[in-house]
Amino acid sequence: MKRLTPFSYFEPATLAEAVEILSGSKEKAYLLAGGTDLLIRMKRGEIAPPALVNLKRISGLSSIEREGQSGIRIGALTTIAEIEHSSALRASHTLMAEAATALGSPSIRNLATLGGNIGRASPASDMAPSLIVLKARLNISGPRGNKQVGLESFFTGPGTTILQPGELITSVFLPDPAARSGAAYLKLGRGGGMDCALGCVAIFLTLGNTDTEVKEVLVAVGACSAIPMRANKTEALILSGSLTDGHIQEAAMAVAAETSPITDLRASESYRRQMVQVLFSRALKLSWSRARSSKDTH
Amino acid sequence: MKILIELTVNEELCRLEVEPQQTLLEVLREALHLTGTKEGCGLGDCGTCMVLIDGKPVNACLMLALDAQRHQITTIEGLDNRGGLHPLQQSFIDAGAVQCGFCTPGMILSAKALLDINPRAGKEEIKKTLSGVLCRCGSYPKVIEAVLAAGEKMKGGH
Repeated sequence: MKRLTPFSYFEPATLAEAVEILSGSKEKAYLLAGGTDLLIRMKRGEIAPPALVNLKRISGLSSIEREGQSGIRIGALTTIAEIEHSSALRASHTLMAEAATALGSPSIRNLATLGGNIGRASPASDMAPSLIVLKARLNISGPRGNKQVGLESFFTGPGTTILQPGELITSVFLPDPAARSGAAYLKLGRGGGMDCALGCVAIFLTLGNTDTEVKEVLVAVGACSAIPMRANKTEALILSGSLTDGHIQEAAMAVAAETSPITDLRASESYRRQMVQVLFSRALKLSWSRARSSKDTH
Repeated sequence: MKILIELTVNEELCRLEVEPQQTLLEVLREALHLTGTKEGCGLGDCGTCMVLIDGKPVNACLMLALDAQRHQITTIEGLDNRGGLHPLQQSFIDAGAVQCGFCTPGMILSAKALLDINPRAGKEEIKKTLSGVLCRCGSYPKVIEAVLAAGEKMKGGH
């Protein structure tokens, strides 16, 4: 039987208590949410946390709620399965359901949480690219109060974030998308969704006055750089012309050049670069066709 | 640090002491002797440790036992409390969907979670639902056949 090595265990009942434990702990304390990443790394012996702070007794961290007319707020402890099946999210942010469905197996999705997926800061996160193109903002609590940070500036490297000691993500805010917009998330992984992404692309696109004029576009790529990255140069290139097959192909070359994939046991650098072009072209065409068929107003 | 916890397993309330680092899988097998729940990889990949938490499949190897409190836990042993076989169990026997049998509890519990909501689930939906359970014997075609047949029986309102 694979077992976990002992740790000091904390079970705060409130957010304030969690922040206090995290800031006051002499030992390095890890946050336990869904556990589907943390417990695996502990069992593999990759990490040996001296202390775990279980967040699941804190109420109010696992709901999906509309925030007035401006957008939707997803609690950090909301499971990936809850996101996958949320009718509210399917109505306003279908991309979230698409990304959630791509993550792990159904039983993993029943445990894994959105906050955990973001906080883990895996370059291959299934949720991060879609959250970036949806302009997600993270609500963070800490010893110095609450603050809001754009997800794009949250990651600092593989497994590292801007979170300071004592800080934790409490929820994610997604602004409502504009009219005439479409989005898509595509992932390449062995065996469909079960495997970690070899490459993944999320695109959000808003059309202008005509069906080929792009008013706004956001492109995010996962598993092809140290962090889930926004492809700014590619976005600028897309905006520089109207949508044609040739222009899409040009943009695909740009996105491959903009990423910096590595060679590891899952895939080589050149394979990843090629695949990201394919994923990108398909995702752009898909988000384009979705934008054209979307309702004019929300 | 021992902690006293209460678990509701197969509709029975159990009080026991656990260490915080003990997984639900360890407690089910070693403290409650419910050995129908297996350990394969122990890392969330194979799905043979599947149990239902409030009717939803989760990997018992990735859940701390103390986090399973206040939930309804169903293991393969609790599938039919009326003493007979559940339609899924009968269908697995009829279709010959059990080879070595190690994945069977995970397959049946995952399928139960689906059929309880939608007994009319088709082949594609069944495949997606079972994607978290690996069978090294390759019994998948027979498993899908068995789940479809069980769905037919359960439509009648088992």
